[in-house]
Amino acid sequence: MVRSHTSISNVVALIFFLVLLIIPSVQSTTATTIDVWPKPRLLRWAPLHQLSLLSPSFTIASPYDHPHLSSAVSRYLTLIKTEHHLPSSVNNPLTATSSPPPPPSPPLQSLHIFIHRLHAPLHHGVNESYTLHVPNDRPTANLTAETPWGAMRGLETFSQLVWGRPSRVPVGVYVWDDPIFPHRGLLLDTSRNYYGVGDIMRTIYAMSANKMNVFHWHITDSPSFPLNLPSEPGLAAKGSYGDDMQYSPDDVKKIVEFGLDHGVRVIPEIDSPGHTGSWAEAYPEIVTCANMFWWPAESKGEDKLAAEPGTGQLNPLNPKTYQVFKNVISDVVKMFPEPFFHAGADEVTPGCWKTDPTIQSFLSNGGSLSQVLEKFVNETFPYIVSLNRTVIYWEDVLLDGVVKVDSSILDPKYTILQTWNNGPNNTKKIVDAGYRAIVSSADYYYLDCGHGGFLGNDSQYDQLVGSDTVSNGGSWCAPFKTWQTIYNYDITYGLSEEKATLVLGGEVALWSEQADPTVLDSRLWPRASAMAEALWSGNRDETGKKRYAEATDRLNEWRHRMVSRGIGAEPIQPLWCVRNPGMCNAVHASI
Amino acid sequence: MPHGSVIPAIILIFSLFILQLCIASVASAGGGGNGINVWPKPRIMSWTTQPRANLLSPSFAISSPKHFYLSSAANRYLKLIKNEHHQPLVTPSLINITTSSSSALHTLFITVESLLTPLQHGVNETYTLSIPADASIANLTAHTVWGAMRGLETFSQLVWGKPNLLVASGLYVWDSPLFAHRGLILDTSRNYYGVDDILRTIKTMSFNKMNVFHWHITDSHSFPLVLPSEPDLAAKGSYGHDMQYSPDDVKKIVEFGLTHGVRVLPEIDSPGHTGSWAEAYPEIVTCANKFWWPAESNWTNRLASEPGTGHLNPLNPKTYKILKNVINDIVNLFPEAFYHAGADEIIPGCWKADSTIQSFLSNGGTLSQLLEKFVGSTLPYIVFFNRTVVYWEDVLLDDNVNVRPSFLPKEHTILQTWNNGPNNTKRIVDAGYRAIVSSSEFYYLDCGHGDFLGNDSQYDQLQPSSSANNGGSWCGPFKTWQTIYDYDITYGLSEEEAKMVIGGEVALWSEQADPKVLDVRLWPRTSAMAETLWSGNRDEETGIKRYAQATDRLNEWRYRMVSRGVGAEPIQPLWCLRNPGMCNTAH
Repeated sequence: MVRSHTSISNVVALIFFLVLLIIPSVQSTTATTIDVWPKPRLLRWAPLHQLSLLSPSFTIASPYDHPHLSSAVSRYLTLIKTEHHLPSSVNNPLTATSSPPPPPSPPLQSLHIFIHRLHAPLHHGVNESYTLHVPNDRPTANLTAETPWGAMRGLETFSQLVWGRPSRVPVGVYVWDDPIFPHRGLLLDTSRNYYGVGDIMRTIYAMSANKMNVFHWHITDSPSFPLNLPSEPGLAAKGSYGDDMQYSPDDVKKIVEFGLDHGVRVIPEIDSPGHTGSWAEAYPEIVTCANMFWWPAESKGEDKLAAEPGTGQLNPLNPKTYQVFKNVISDVVKMFPEPFFHAGADEVTPGCWKTDPTIQSFLSNGGSLSQVLEKFVNETFPYIVSLNRTVIYWEDVLLDGVVKVDSSILDPKYTILQTWNNGPNNTKKIVDAGYRAIVSSADYYYLDCGHGGFLGNDSQYDQLVGSDTVSNGGSWCAPFKTWQTIYNYDITYGLSEEKATLVLGGEVALWSEQADPTVLDSRLWPRASAMAEALWSGNRDETGKKRYAEATDRLNEWRHRMVSRGIGAEPIQPLWCVRNPGMCNAVHASI
Repeated sequence: MPHGSVIPAIILIFSLFILQLCIASVASAGGGGNGINVWPKPRIMSWTTQPRANLLSPSFAISSPKHFYLSSAANRYLKLIKNEHHQPLVTPSLINITTSSSSALHTLFITVESLLTPLQHGVNETYTLSIPADASIANLTAHTVWGAMRGLETFSQLVWGKPNLLVASGLYVWDSPLFAHRGLILDTSRNYYGVDDILRTIKTMSFNKMNVFHWHITDSHSFPLVLPSEPDLAAKGSYGHDMQYSPDDVKKIVEFGLTHGVRVLPEIDSPGHTGSWAEAYPEIVTCANKFWWPAESNWTNRLASEPGTGHLNPLNPKTYKILKNVINDIVNLFPEAFYHAGADEIIPGCWKADSTIQSFLSNGGTLSQLLEKFVGSTLPYIVFFNRTVVYWEDVLLDDNVNVRPSFLPKEHTILQTWNNGPNNTKRIVDAGYRAIVSSSEFYYLDCGHGDFLGNDSQYDQLQPSSSANNGGSWCGPFKTWQTIYDYDITYGLSEEEAKMVIGGEVALWSEQADPKVLDVRLWPRTSAMAETLWSGNRDEETGIKRYAQATDRLNEWRYRMVSRGVGAEPIQPLWCLRNPGMCNTAH
């Protein structure tokens, strides 16, 4: 992030400029920047801070025959011409006076797109850089990108530069942009509660507005199996919540295509061998401990049958397991072009496997649970790799205290591990072992936390002052992760520069014990936006100082803009704070 | 829909017959398990026969005495009952379904003893509902129209099914709330809510048999209420023309409240929390538009408890001129007999910023005397309009700025508690005042979603400080539905003292709430309080807390609220409802 001294002062506000123009008596010491979220790596606005009207006949010129880019271009053209965003700040002349004077430059007529490698597929590590130049001496702006996917990022940036009624755009603007991390994702669990296709598409759309590029779809788990697979239709027919709560192959196709139109990869996760209780509805014989009470009374923690209600693990000793499983993988690979396949492997719970007689005899003959898991991985991992997929597992497969595999059976070339426990420590363990890592630390990136436990009959509340779990919000990963907690987390904390390169990026996660379509948007946004910026351009300014202070006003403004784009993001401040910049700040170390 | 002329006598006889049956009945209904679910759980709900369901006739009608508000409610419920077609997530079991259409239920017959009783604090909300097995008429009897509305809600929750509507039958319900005051506070100053958001909230309150919408209309951030005598307060102090409440809006909300049995209790917070008044009248507000807590100064020198400064100046005569105009308009707009006058969080630093107050203090005056002057000049004026004044507990209990009890006549004053859990409620009732409980540790719905302050350096550490740790707001953590459900608002009080607690209110302060999150913040957590204050949080027979069975019932009720258009948040995976008991903890 190199930015010259001049450029810093250049990034004084659009808004500030107009305030001086129209209500010169207003004193403002906290001028905002041109608000683009996530903040671009480099944004320069020539010192005159000129604005142009956007011509009513404004067009985006893209000479390329590329279905996804064309779709994005027409979508952004519509957005740009119809959004008429009004910044919330009272400092903005549009809210201060009804008739601002006409901007000085000639109207902007068009945005021209130039792409060097039109056929680069949307894969991990694809070049997403772009440059955007909106000149002040001619009515044509240029957007140059290596790939169509970078062009989509640039279109998003351009759309955020346009505001007002009539639409106007700052000119003399130069943007160079490129993400710090290539993997910027969001995990949605559609098993514990179901989400409609419209909810998923709205989420992907909001991700693209935040320049995020990976929708990690945790499709199946113990509570339900909503994915309708051509080779194994019984799994959804019997394991879903109902006919109206399934994803058909056409639904998946629609979602994958929608992702491509928005520059968002769709990574499927079929969690196994744990978290497979729902498979037992169709195939009880391949699932151990299915439909049992998760943690019998009077038994110890280590005798639990599952990490939470909803029991069931695939049985690695039953050959039929692999027959069904390979059908599943084969179908999923056909439905999802994405080269990454998430195979789960988290929270294998000893008590569940131990209920099965064949596993019992395996164990009593000197076998171990880790050997059982190794058998499962050995039977499935090479098969997935043979279908040209890189396999993502949860960290547990290597780091679990009890049931884990030897790293020799997971070739780092085809394996990525996703970390979620122990903050930065487990990420360090994974990269030190030579694996690439995706960070989803539960301490920072789990969006479901802090809304109470979902267990019934919880006697800890039967006290005037609750226990510790209750007092921090009553869920295992409480408290609620605030946008600030998310924004300030450094996913490569404690790593050498070299090891840090093994961290591909991060994912916020919405597990759905207490989420469903009614709360989807408010749980995700604007907190996922906080991660989106931290992974795109960092959480520090050019001096290396964390920029959470100025980020508050920008995120607030961005939240209002997302709301007006149809995303039900939650508010982070009273409107008064946006209207009175700086007045809602803390200047004390602790409150 | 007026009564037919012949039917009443038959009905009376029939009712007595049912009553006989009830005395003999043993089975208690609605406890979960058979899928018949009424929220909040009625005090008594019992089967007069084996649990069964009857068809609801396609020509089902509600026969209601003619009454402006009750007739409107009856029409509303008739539509709901006929169109809802609720499909329980757990199919009601143990139910014999009578499918003979000849005996389908075709009329709910409402009898009200006293049609003229107004909706006011303490009004009788008792009702009895009997739905005989295999008979075509059900009876709802209440002392007042407001009780009849509660009974209509109960009846609506007993109907389900698609395509044919079924109604639980062979059922007797006697119901009456434990607490007279069951409220919800919405702060419309920090962020604005549209009239429809408020109406939807009142409607949902009525689903939950709540009866007080405490409208925290104004505060330092904005003054959204357009007052005929003081139009500038909103013209200059609101967030904008599109973020105001006109007198017509208020009328609509008040009337809507009446048709739903919900009182609308206005709060004009003063003398603190009045920064927005300074946009129209800077001369009556001290410390307005200042930075709330200057750097390098101690917490004791802050100007406000949070960003948004400003207190009315008790020493400026003009203050009372404006405030009396405001009060005048409010009592004209709101028929409600309670008036909430605020008086929380008087911050010494704000008054001390004013020069006339400075000289008052240097002449030996105290801040408490200032507050006494303010209360002494305003409370009698409000009482003069036949209003009971509600204040926040601070007016009596604040450590620095408070008034002597002699300024607060007990017959005209109610105090609302929010600090120190049950302790301050005890102090208030021990001082002889009636109390409304809104303990921030149990009933504040905004808590636990992080802080709204900008530039907060405590997050600039890998391990955030303790305040970030419990969710980053002063009243973190998040109050779960269980926390709310299990709170006993009369904890630690004698039976005599407990009588002074008239009820409770959950509160949604809007620093981090606006229409986007309104429903999810309120529901179903508010439903948890609604049941606790209506019929308690304990099993009536054993005295054991009933949170265990409440989970399934609340879950089911949440889905029903969602299908009624309320965006309530989920409390469990759907799997848990489908597998009753399997998501419990036995540890």
